[in-house]
Amino acid sequence: MDIETVRKVARVARLRLTPSEELQFAQDLEEVLQYFSLLDEAPQVDTHDFNPVRVADVLRDDEPSRDVNAERLRESMDTYDDLVRGPRLS
Amino acid sequence: MSCSPTPERLIQLNERFRIFCEMAEDLSGLQDYPPRPTFSAKDNLCAMGFQARAGSRILEGYRPPFDATPVWRMRQEGMLLLGKTNMDEFGFGTFSTNSGYDVPRNPFDAGRACGGSSGGAAAATSLLEGHVALGVSTGGSISCPASFCGVLGLTPTYGRVSRYGLIDYGNSLDKVGLMTRDSGSLRTWLPVISGPDPKDPTSCVQPMLDLSPRKVERVAVPLEAMQNLGSGVESSFASALKSLQDDHDILVEEVSMPSLKFALSAYYVLATSEASTNLARYCGMRFGVRNSNISQHFNDFFSETRSANFGTEAKRRILLGTYARMVGFRDRYYMKALAVRQLVISEYKRVLNDHDLVLTPTMPFIAPRFADIEKMRPLEAYQADFLTVPPNLAGLPHLSLPCGYIEGMPVGMQAVAPHWEERALLDIAERWTSKFQMRFPEVAR
Repeated sequence: MDIETVRKVARVARLRLTPSEELQFAQDLEEVLQYFSLLDEAPQVDTHDFNPVRVADVLRDDEPSRDVNAERLRESMDTYDDLVRGPRLS
Repeated sequence: MSCSPTPERLIQLNERFRIFCEMAEDLSGLQDYPPRPTFSAKDNLCAMGFQARAGSRILEGYRPPFDATPVWRMRQEGMLLLGKTNMDEFGFGTFSTNSGYDVPRNPFDAGRACGGSSGGAAAATSLLEGHVALGVSTGGSISCPASFCGVLGLTPTYGRVSRYGLIDYGNSLDKVGLMTRDSGSLRTWLPVISGPDPKDPTSCVQPMLDLSPRKVERVAVPLEAMQNLGSGVESSFASALKSLQDDHDILVEEVSMPSLKFALSAYYVLATSEASTNLARYCGMRFGVRNSNISQHFNDFFSETRSANFGTEAKRRILLGTYARMVGFRDRYYMKALAVRQLVISEYKRVLNDHDLVLTPTMPFIAPRFADIEKMRPLEAYQADFLTVPPNLAGLPHLSLPCGYIEGMPVGMQAVAPHWEERALLDIAERWTSKFQMRFPEVAR
C-alpha cells in the first residue's frame, strides 16, 4: 500500500498519522495485502451469509421499557442542562 | 473443589504476573466460609463496579452501568468476581502484548507471553485453583492463551452465549467462552453462561444446549494443519494422537481440507472490516476518554482523540478494515471473504459428517519469549493464528486441551466439533484429562 493510499484511508478512518506511522503502516499493510491476494485463488461459491450460523431477527414486544438509566449514561458524557455537548459540524 | 487464595496472595500473584487490568477493591469475599468459587471476566466484558476498557486507553474511565449477560449469570450463581483480566487492546493480538495496561506474564515462565488475546484470563486460570475465567474469542483468543498457559479453553458455537455487554470486535465472530483447569468445571459453567438472551438476538436461535453423552469414536486430522509446526509441537501432538488411539480407543484418520489455507486471509478481512466499523464509536464523546476541545470541527475532534489513544495494532487493523470495505476493493476482499467462510464451513461439515471431531495442535509453537515477539512482523504474528482461525471463522465450537510439555512449557491440542455439539468437546475433555497428567506452574502450588 503506498503512502498516498495510507493517508486517504487514515482520513476516512479519522486517524491522524505521523510521517513515521505512515511509512510503517504502508510497509506492514503492503505485506498483509500481498498475503490476502491468496483469496483470488479461492473457488467462487454462490452463497454468502453475514453470519456463520443462521440467525433470525428476534423482536421484543412493542412495549416501552428502559434497560439502562439514561441519567447514568450521561454521567460519562459532556453535558449542559439535559443536552450532550459535541464538536462543531461545520 | 475450590481453594481460594488469600487477598494478600492474590495481590502478590497479580504484581508478579499482571493478570488483571483492574482487580476488585474489596477482596474480603475470599475469606468467606464456606469459600466462594471465584471467576474473572476479560476486560471487554462489562461488569458493574469495574471499568470496562477492553485493554484500550481510549476507554479509560468508562464504567458501564450494567453487567454483560455471562457476567450477570455467573454472579447469580454466587460466584465472586475477582477482576477484569488483561488482554490485547480490543482483542487485537496473539500474545497480549498489545494492551494499554501492562502485559500479562506466563505463569510457567515470566519471560514468555501468555498468548492472546485472553492472556490475563489464561494466567488467572493457570495460577488459581478452582478459578473460572470468562474469555472471549474472535479468531482464537481463548484457544491460544489456553494452549500457552496449559489450561482448558472452551469456545462455544457462535451464538451459544449472549454477547450482550461484550465490547464488540467482530460481531459475526465474537464468542464468549470459558477457561478452567478441569473438565468438570466446563460441564458446570457452560450451561450457566449459555442460552437465549432477548438482549442478543443472535443467541435466540440456538438449539437447547444438550450435554447428554456423545462418545467420541472417530477423529480427523487435516494434513494441511500439519505444516509449519515447531518440532516439539509436532512430536507432542503425534504422541497425543497415539495415546488417543491406544488409551482411549479413538480412531484417528488423516483427511485433506484444502480450503483451510484461505481461512486466515478471509478471517483477517472480515475481522478488521467489522472492527473498523465497531471502533468508529470511540471518538471522544460517548465512551471513555473525553475530548473537551469542542470548538474544533468534528473531523478534527474525533481524529485527535482516536490518534492519541488507539495503540499501534488498533490503528493498523482499523486501516486494514477501512481499506477492505472501500469502494473498488469491497468485492475483492470483503465479499470474497464472506464466500470463503461458507466454503470453510462446508468443508468442516463434510469432514464432521463422518468424524466426531477435527483435531490439530492449537498453536504452531510454545509460548514465545517477549524478546522474540518484538522481532515479529505483523503478518508473522497474524500467521501464528493459522490453526485457531478456521473454527472461529466458521463459528464452530472448539476446545484447547494441554497435550504435552516442551522445555517445561505447555503444548495444546485443539478439538473442533459440529455447530451446537459442545457435548463432544466435553467428552474428549473428560476422557483426555482422566489419563493425561496436567502440570501447573510451581508458583501456583
